[in-house]
Amino acid sequence: MRRPALLLVLVSSLLAARLAAAHHSFAAYFDGQKAVTLTGEVAGVEWTNPHFHFSIDVKDEAGAVTRWRFEGFPPNMLVRQGWQRDVTLTPGATITVEGWAARSEPNAGAARWVTLADGRKLAAGPPAGTGGR
Amino acid sequence: MIMTTVRAWLMGGAVALVLGAPLAAQTSNAERAVPRAANGKPDLSGIWVATGAIMLFEGQEAFAAARAADAAAGRPPGNTGEAPPYKPEAEAQRQYFLSRQGIDDPMARCLLTGVPRITFRPLPFEIVQLADRVIMLYEIHHAFRIIPTDGRPHPEDAEPSYLGESIGRWDGDTFVVDVTSFNTNTWLTGVGTIHTEDLRVTERYTRDSFDTIRYEVTMEDPAVLTRPWTLRETLRLRPGERIREYECIESNEDIQRFERLLQESRATERSQ
Repeated sequence: MRRPALLLVLVSSLLAARLAAAHHSFAAYFDGQKAVTLTGEVAGVEWTNPHFHFSIDVKDEAGAVTRWRFEGFPPNMLVRQGWQRDVTLTPGATITVEGWAARSEPNAGAARWVTLADGRKLAAGPPAGTGGR
Repeated sequence: MIMTTVRAWLMGGAVALVLGAPLAAQTSNAERAVPRAANGKPDLSGIWVATGAIMLFEGQEAFAAARAADAAAGRPPGNTGEAPPYKPEAEAQRQYFLSRQGIDDPMARCLLTGVPRITFRPLPFEIVQLADRVIMLYEIHHAFRIIPTDGRPHPEDAEPSYLGESIGRWDGDTFVVDVTSFNTNTWLTGVGTIHTEDLRVTERYTRDSFDTIRYEVTMEDPAVLTRPWTLRETLRLRPGERIREYECIESNEDIQRFERLLQESRATERSQ
């Protein structure tokens, strides 16, 4: 099996030390120690509550495509971070996502930041381990 | 005297005109007096968030600045990480829930969040202070509390509920809310913070500046706690904010995910 050219970065113990239960218990499903940075083409956007979802097609060096699906803020928070429905994220656009991978489900993650083609970097979801008590 | 006042006002206006918007921004909320209601009590009306939410709204730097401002003003730090004072049996239950990484969290199943956890959620809420009641409108779960302040007692027919029954009164400049009649479908705040129907919550809201409310909440539940448990947090005014919609059930995949994890967990426990 070909491994996609992912930038799978283990975060420092400094960040890991801050991780705790988050919104909807982040830790149960996502792994705050499996930070990922992925660049790909937007395949779909679901502007829904209590999380929005989007998927991107990530191409490896050999040209094989893996579809990743990310979860992020609800629309009320996205709008506060400067997102616009149907405008900010459009199918076909190339974006870079920073976030954390799911513990067991392959190619799934929680998004923290999205960098758009025009260089704007927007918060897409909460930091792992924060977001209230 | 009048002329002096008028002259000072005109001079102030001239300075403001010369310096323009930056001056207006600099002399904004920090120097404004705490607003008062017609009865002379502080007016808590406005849109507020717990300081923890500043991380999400404005980022790490703003969050750190807010905490530093609290320290400088002598406000107690929020979320000290102190363990709740549970009796051994209740503490064992909490540790069990912690070991399961929160998959039992009632909130993950979109159940209404109780008091005080709802205050600490990272979404804003609006306080509307009227002459005979204070209304709290929470963005999360479309939740609301109507808190009578006209001296009436708790209703006799109160059913156990998620947010409980609230009665408010003023202790000097502090708004004190007595909350009773809880069901047991909520956690107090944080994973596994169980309670019984005998829970009694006392909230104290003190608007100590134009921008901030000191929030202090004490939970009493002798069946599970060894002593009253008190938490503190600074609530911050959000000028220009409005309460938006947040709906929990539409595409909450945690419900299926956590149910799967719960089933796996039960199967593992049975096989042991």
